[in-house]
Amino acid sequence: MDFLFNLLPHLVNGLALGLLFALIALGFMLIIGVMEVINLAHGSLFALGAYVALVIVTPEGGMVVPFLKPWFGIDIVPRYVAGLIIAPFVVGLFGMGLEICLRRTYGKDPLYGLLLTFGAALVIEEGIRVIWGHGEYVLPLPKGIRGGFFYGDLIWSTYRFYAALFSMAMIGLLWVFIEKTPYGAIIKAGAHDSEMVRALGINLPRLRLFVFGFGTALAAIAGIIMAPIWGIRPQVGVDAVIPAFVVIVLGGVGSFWGAVIAGLLVGMVVGLTAAFLSDWSLLSMYLLLLAVVTFRARGLMGKASVLEN
Amino acid sequence: MTYLRDRVGRWVTPHMLVALVFFGTLPLWIKSAGLYDYIGIEIVIWIIFALGYNLLLGYTGLPSFGHGAFLGIGGYAFGWFQLNVMPNLWLAIIFAIVITALIGAAVAVFVSHRRGIYFALLTIAFGQIFFFVASKWTSLTGGEDGMLNIKRLPADFGFVSFSLQENAALYYFVFACFAVTVVVLWRLVNSPFGKVIRAIKQNEMRVGFLGYNVFFFKWAVFTISCAVAGLSGGLLAMAQEGAYVQVMSLQWSGIIVLMVLIGGGFVSFWGPVVGTVVFFVARDVLGMFTETWLLWYGLMFMVLVMFKPEGIAGMWQDFINNQNNRRAAPPPVTAPVAAPVPAPASE
Amino acid sequence: MALFEAQKVHKRFGDHVVLEQIDLSFEENTLSGIMGPNGAGKTTCFNVLTGRYKPDRGRVMFDGRDITGKSPGAIAKMGISRSFQVMNVFDEYTVLDNVLLAVPRVRRRSLNFLHDLGNDSLSTDKACVVIGKVGLKGKEHTAASDLSYGERRALEIGIALAAEPRLLFLDEPTAGLGTEATAKLADMIRRIKEGLTIVIIEHEMQFLFSLADHINVVQWGQVVAGGAPDVLRANKWVQASNLGKLA
Repeated sequence: MDFLFNLLPHLVNGLALGLLFALIALGFMLIIGVMEVINLAHGSLFALGAYVALVIVTPEGGMVVPFLKPWFGIDIVPRYVAGLIIAPFVVGLFGMGLEICLRRTYGKDPLYGLLLTFGAALVIEEGIRVIWGHGEYVLPLPKGIRGGFFYGDLIWSTYRFYAALFSMAMIGLLWVFIEKTPYGAIIKAGAHDSEMVRALGINLPRLRLFVFGFGTALAAIAGIIMAPIWGIRPQVGVDAVIPAFVVIVLGGVGSFWGAVIAGLLVGMVVGLTAAFLSDWSLLSMYLLLLAVVTFRARGLMGKASVLEN
Repeated sequence: MTYLRDRVGRWVTPHMLVALVFFGTLPLWIKSAGLYDYIGIEIVIWIIFALGYNLLLGYTGLPSFGHGAFLGIGGYAFGWFQLNVMPNLWLAIIFAIVITALIGAAVAVFVSHRRGIYFALLTIAFGQIFFFVASKWTSLTGGEDGMLNIKRLPADFGFVSFSLQENAALYYFVFACFAVTVVVLWRLVNSPFGKVIRAIKQNEMRVGFLGYNVFFFKWAVFTISCAVAGLSGGLLAMAQEGAYVQVMSLQWSGIIVLMVLIGGGFVSFWGPVVGTVVFFVARDVLGMFTETWLLWYGLMFMVLVMFKPEGIAGMWQDFINNQNNRRAAPPPVTAPVAAPVPAPASE
Repeated sequence: MALFEAQKVHKRFGDHVVLEQIDLSFEENTLSGIMGPNGAGKTTCFNVLTGRYKPDRGRVMFDGRDITGKSPGAIAKMGISRSFQVMNVFDEYTVLDNVLLAVPRVRRRSLNFLHDLGNDSLSTDKACVVIGKVGLKGKEHTAASDLSYGERRALEIGIALAAEPRLLFLDEPTAGLGTEATAKLADMIRRIKEGLTIVIIEHEMQFLFSLADHINVVQWGQVVAGGAPDVLRANKWVQASNLGKLA
C-alpha cells in the first residue's frame, strides 16, 4: 500500500507527460489530416520552440540581441509569457516554410516527401547545434510554477501540475477551435476529403500552409512546456516525434479523443518506467513503438493510406 | 574477342576499373591534393557502408533511418572478438560481419513487412534502442567512452604477414575490402535478385502478385546491407583504434542517407561513392572555413530532394544523355537486356 | 468439375455485407464475364477470388484444391494471374523487363546470383512472344512510362499473361479506353484466349457480350443472373435494368 502511495507523484508526472504527448500528437495529426506526408521534422520544431523561447526569456539563451538588453531587466513572468506566445509563432513560420518546400514532392513517390522531412529534421537539429551548441540549457521559470511542495508525506513537483493543467487547457482550446469554429470545420473537412474542400472553393494550398503552421506551433508550445522536464538539448526532437506517432497509431488517425486517451496511456507508461528505471523511460517509448506497430498494424481509420504506403 | 568482353562485362565494367584505379592509387597522390592519409581510409570505409546501404535505399526504396547502429555493432563485435577471443584479423572481421548480419536479420524480420513511413519509424526506433543499449552497457562497450585499445591487426597470410599499423598499409587493406565488396554487390544488383528488388521499389504489390516472396527479398536486402555494415564497422574500429557509440546516433544514421542520395544512389550504383567523397571533402575543405558545413550539406540534400532526387550521378547521366542526343540519332533497338538503359541504376 | 469455383463466399466490411453467399464457377478454356454496375461488389468479388481479401465464409476452389485465404503470391504460383484496373506496371522498366519479371522461369531463378538474364534467350523469347501477342511488338525497349495509355493497358495484361497462368483474371480492362482502343483490346483478347481460361470483370456491356461464353451478373452482392450472352439478353431482369438497354 505504501508502495502505491509513493507512486502517486509519478502518476501525476505520467499524466502531465501524457497530456503533452497528446498535444504534440494532435498537432501532428492535424498535419497528417490535410497533407499527404508524415512530418518527421515535427520533433525538431518541438525542440526549436524551446530554444526560441529560451532566447526570449533569458539573456543566457545562446543568442543575445543587443538592443533587447533592457528587456531582460523586467520580471520573469511577462518574459515567460512572451516566450510562450512568440516562440510558437516563430516556429509556425518555419513550419510554413517547410510546407512550401514539400510542395515539390506532392504527387511523387511518398518516399521523397519522407526524405525531405527527414532532411529538414536533420537540418533544423544541426541549425540548433550551430547556433546554440551541444550543451544543455535551462529555461528559467516564474517562481509560482517551479520547485516542489510537500503534501501527505510525499514530494510533488509543482511544475508537473502546471504542465498538466496548461496542456489540458490547450487541448480544450484546440477542441473548441476544431469543433466550434468555421476554421476548424474546414480543417476537419480537409482532413476527410481534400478534393471536396477544393470543390467547395476553399483555397487548399492556403489551408495546408495554415494547418502546417498551426500544427507546428502546437508542437512548439509543447516543446516549451516540456523543456523543464526533458531539458533543452538538440537531440530532444526525435524523442518527441516517436510518442506522437505511437499515439496516432494507437488512437487512430483522425480521432481527437483517441489521440488524447492514447497520449495519456503512453505518458503513463513512460512516467511509470521513470519511477522504477529512470534511465530507461525514453527507451520504453521506443519499445512501445515497436510493439504497437508490430501488433496493431492495420488498426487505422481515416488516412490509413498515407501511413500504409 | 566479343565473347571475352561480354564475360568481363558481367563481372567488371569500365566504371569499376576507373574506381579501382582511382582508389587504388590514392595514397600516391592524396597528399599533393592537399589532404592526408587517414581521410582516404575513412572515405573508403564509409563508401563500403554506403554501397551496402544503397541496396536498401536506392535499389529497394526502403528508407532505413537507423543504419548507423549496425556500423557501431560491427565495430564493437570486431573489438570484442579481438580483445576477448583472439587477435586474428580474418576471424575478427568475419565475426563482425556475421554478428551484425545476425542482428540485422532479426531486425529485418520486424521491418520487412512494411515500407515508407512505418519502415522508417521502425528503423529509427531500433537505431535509438541500440544506441541506448550501447551507451548504457558499459561493461561490454565502454559506454560513452567507447571500446578502447583496439589494434590494427596484421594481415597474416601464413607465409607472409603485413603490418597494418601504418595508415598507408591499412588503406590498402581497406581498399582490398572495397574491391571485393564492389565486385560482389555489382554482381548482386545485376542478377535477377537485383531486378526483383528494383521492381519492389517501383511496385511492391505487383511483385507479390507475380508470385515472388516480397517479404523474403526485403529481409535479404536488409540483412545483406547489415553484413556490409558489419564489415565497414570492423574496419572503422581498426582505423580509429577504438569503437565508439556516436556513430550509432540518429545524426550519423541520417548522414549516410544524405551521402547516398546526394551522390545519386537512386539512379546509379556509383552514386554512394560520389556522395561519400563529396561529404568528406566538404567536411575537411568546407570545414576549414566554417563550422556550419554540415548544415549546408543538409540544405543541399533538401534542395536535391526537391529538385533533383537523382543526385549528382543523375545530373551526370543527364549531361551525358544531352551530349549523346546532340551528336547522333538514337541507337538501334537491339541491345541485350543487361545493357544500360536510361534512368534505372545499371551503371 | 469446373476449373475454378467460389462456393458460398461471403464478405463483409464492418457492418456492410459486400458479398452475400456468392456461388460462381468457371469452366476450363472458357471466357467468362462478371458484370454489374459499380458498387455491386464486382471488385470485392474479384479481390476475394484472387486472394487479396479473405472471405468471411465460404470456399474458393481451384482445380479441386482449396485456395481460400491463400496469399496472392501463393495463388500466382499455382497458375492464377490477374491484371489490375488501375495500371500497375513498373514505370522505370522497359516493356521487356516488365514482362520478363513475370515469366515463371525467371522467377524460379531469382535467387541464382550467377544467372545472367542477358544471355537467357529462353526467357527473353518467352517474354517477346507475349509482347507480340498483346500487340506491343517493337516496343520491347521502350520504358513503360513512355507508353500511351492503351499500350500500358496492353502491357498490364501482358505481365499477367507472361506468368503462364491457367486462369487469367482481367479487372475492368477497358477502363479509360476509347471505342477504337476497346475494339483493339477485344481483338487482343481473342488472340490470347487459346488454351487459357479467362475471367473478365467489366461494366462495358458490348465488349463483354461480344467476347464471353458465359456471363455472371452481380448486383447487391449477389449473383442475380448467369448464362451465355444470348440467354442473358432474354433475361427479364437484364432487360429491365439499364444493362439490358445497352446489350
